[in-house]
Amino acid sequence: MNPLIFTTILMTVLLGTMIVMMSSHWLMIWIGFEMNLLAIIPILMKKYNPRTMEASTKYFLTQATASMLLMMAIIINLMHSGQWTITKVFNPTASIIMTSALAMKLGLTPFHFWVPEVTQGISLTSGLILLTWQKLAPMSILYQISPSINLNILLTMAVLSILVGGWGGLNQTQLRKIMAYSSIAHMGWMTAVLVYNPTLTMLNMLIYIMMTLTMFMLFIHSSSTTTLSLSHTWNKTPLTTTLILITLLSMGGLPPLSGFMPKWMIIQELTKNNSIILPTLMAIMALLNLYFYMRLTYSTSLTMFPSTNNMKMKWQFETKRITLLPPLIVMSSLLLPLTPMLSILD
Amino acid sequence: MLKIIIPTIMLMPLTWLSKKNMIWINTTTYSLLISLISLSLLNQPSNNSLNFSLMFFSDPLSAPLLVLTTWLLPLMLMASQHHLSKEPLIRKKLYITMLTMLQTLLIMTFTATELISFYILFEATLVPTLIIITRWGNQTERLNAGLYFLFYTLMGSLPLLVALISIQNLTGSLNFLLIQYWNQALPDSWSNIFLWLACMMAFMVKMPLYGLHLWLPKAHVEAPIAGSMVLAAILLKLGGYGMLRITTMLNPQTSFMAYPFLMLSLWGMIMTSSICLRQTDLKSLIAYSSVSHMALVIVAVLIQTPWSYMGATALMIAHGLTSSMLFCLANSNYERTHSRTMILARGLQTLLPLMAAWWLLASLTNLALPPSINLIGELFVVMSSFSWSNITIILMGTNITITALYSLYMLITTQRGKYTHHINSIKPSFTRENALMALHMTPLLLLSLNPKIILGFTY
Repeated sequence: MNPLIFTTILMTVLLGTMIVMMSSHWLMIWIGFEMNLLAIIPILMKKYNPRTMEASTKYFLTQATASMLLMMAIIINLMHSGQWTITKVFNPTASIIMTSALAMKLGLTPFHFWVPEVTQGISLTSGLILLTWQKLAPMSILYQISPSINLNILLTMAVLSILVGGWGGLNQTQLRKIMAYSSIAHMGWMTAVLVYNPTLTMLNMLIYIMMTLTMFMLFIHSSSTTTLSLSHTWNKTPLTTTLILITLLSMGGLPPLSGFMPKWMIIQELTKNNSIILPTLMAIMALLNLYFYMRLTYSTSLTMFPSTNNMKMKWQFETKRITLLPPLIVMSSLLLPLTPMLSILD
Repeated sequence: MLKIIIPTIMLMPLTWLSKKNMIWINTTTYSLLISLISLSLLNQPSNNSLNFSLMFFSDPLSAPLLVLTTWLLPLMLMASQHHLSKEPLIRKKLYITMLTMLQTLLIMTFTATELISFYILFEATLVPTLIIITRWGNQTERLNAGLYFLFYTLMGSLPLLVALISIQNLTGSLNFLLIQYWNQALPDSWSNIFLWLACMMAFMVKMPLYGLHLWLPKAHVEAPIAGSMVLAAILLKLGGYGMLRITTMLNPQTSFMAYPFLMLSLWGMIMTSSICLRQTDLKSLIAYSSVSHMALVIVAVLIQTPWSYMGATALMIAHGLTSSMLFCLANSNYERTHSRTMILARGLQTLLPLMAAWWLLASLTNLALPPSINLIGELFVVMSSFSWSNITIILMGTNITITALYSLYMLITTQRGKYTHHINSIKPSFTRENALMALHMTPLLLLSLNPKIILGFTY
């Protein structure tokens, strides 16, 4: 794609999300979402083949439906409150419809079906933008309406997302689908604590974005989209196998890596609010996620063969330049001792 | 405590910057020096703990375990030299780094004040151990072993996290020293029963309790020698240490909640000892013997009398040294014959007489021969369980008999009799191996002269 045009489109995506995050008028938020959606379609279709077309179409249809539902919720809110300012949504119908719309945009269960298929159909870089940047806008709206969200619906969606994210990823070997299911599960964790303490949602989002960025950067570096090709990294750059191990363990939520911090804080917040079975259940279901991450590490870093590789080798192209990889890796693994600094997020 | 932690962390740059012919020498020497520093902690003037800072403390329970941990690192390094000799330099350094990282986390775990900090470090010890088992183990089953190890422990410990946080909400602080003084009886309710279960299951899995012990034979057998040593000697004791700390907060539910676990442990110790009699795999035999000894520790901790706590602590230290020594001996066999089957390497006394002496001493301490500290531990546990209920003496007596049976079975099969023909060309014992065994045995024998230091905080 012509770099100038690509930059313009990318800037439109960024602008759309910024408009969503910084508006105080409901209509502007809807406009921001639409701008975001329309501009990201060309980015999803960077390579022109039927698979990307299918993925972009699926993405467009689900997101457009969600935007329409959002518009309906906005209108109902207008009807009952008589104003367009962003505050918490007082009318329960509007609140439920808005929560469903935003869940569809985020990819929470039961609206998660598009996430693996769309992520699989697009290139790694577009998948990166899809799974990290696109989550910011809906999450910011959820943050702003958090006092009025129906707790039952949100917690049901959150727990089901963690379940689906865990079980769905078990049968996958394609890396992009694995990252998609991991995204579903992490979104579940984020929305579970939204009503109790939205700051922790933001913390989880921050650390999730860092870890997902790191994972995608490592995948892009070795140009691998399947588990099979990821297991070749020990031939190309043995150091990245260690980095993949550390980042995957961090995503699984193992202490002492920074992926443990959001889980710990969320469990603490939920327990303070007297729900004990829920965080235990969530924590145990996160172990399903850990299982398929471990499977990835087994084929990549923990069973390095001293002999020649048994799998078909791919052409080794010139190493792509990865931006910011060392700071990302450090941040996605070593942030746990900084937990007392959480107060800066308020 | 930083005087121990910082040097241990600095062992990592030491390995990466050492020359090729100096890595083993440097790391072993400096880790021995660090263990000498930790010996000063054994001087506990009173029953209260020595507080070093807000975050670290050491009391008569954690000091012997800490000394054991620091003592074992040089021994692990000495034991790993042979099987790593053919690996490239970077992998050797990675291995030593994993061991050092594990050591740092273990030191911090044993001295942690705050229980959540203890939890995080307890979980953190899983990661280097997993890497050591799966990356440097020898058979394909090691993958399964690593998964079993990780997931059994995590399934048990995630409820512990929730339980610790809810206790923090109830009592306001999880600083262990404060809780000792603030302790109140837990009210009697269903949710407190689940709280008890959540607190204890993590340590039960780690110990391991008989029904949850499936990960242990796999992990011990598939791990390389340093992995087996650290697993048997220290990581199991983490479970015992955690139980000893947490049971102070869990009265009075322990009086009735402990029964199922007591039954499992009492029956389990006989079961696992009996399994040892039918094992063909040497490392598997030692692994099941660990389960059996740890079942005694579980019984002791759940009875909660001063004598049983003394017995539990002494047994943990004694078993750590003995079991680690047995794994070293099994490894010296494995390095020569590349097989763990016992009957393939018989009659070693004729070929390696000095090693036979170490085998004899290790087996004798394993079966708790007087006056070793193994005996002191087992005797205290047997006596306190007898006072708890007279019938347990039958089970305990049976267990001691069967322990003696399999220890002697192991000794006689490997050492006595006519040697097999295919092993008459094995290499003689290295000085390194003899030094390793001596370094295991000497503390064990010397401690029987002054067992007071390992008898824990109820002495």
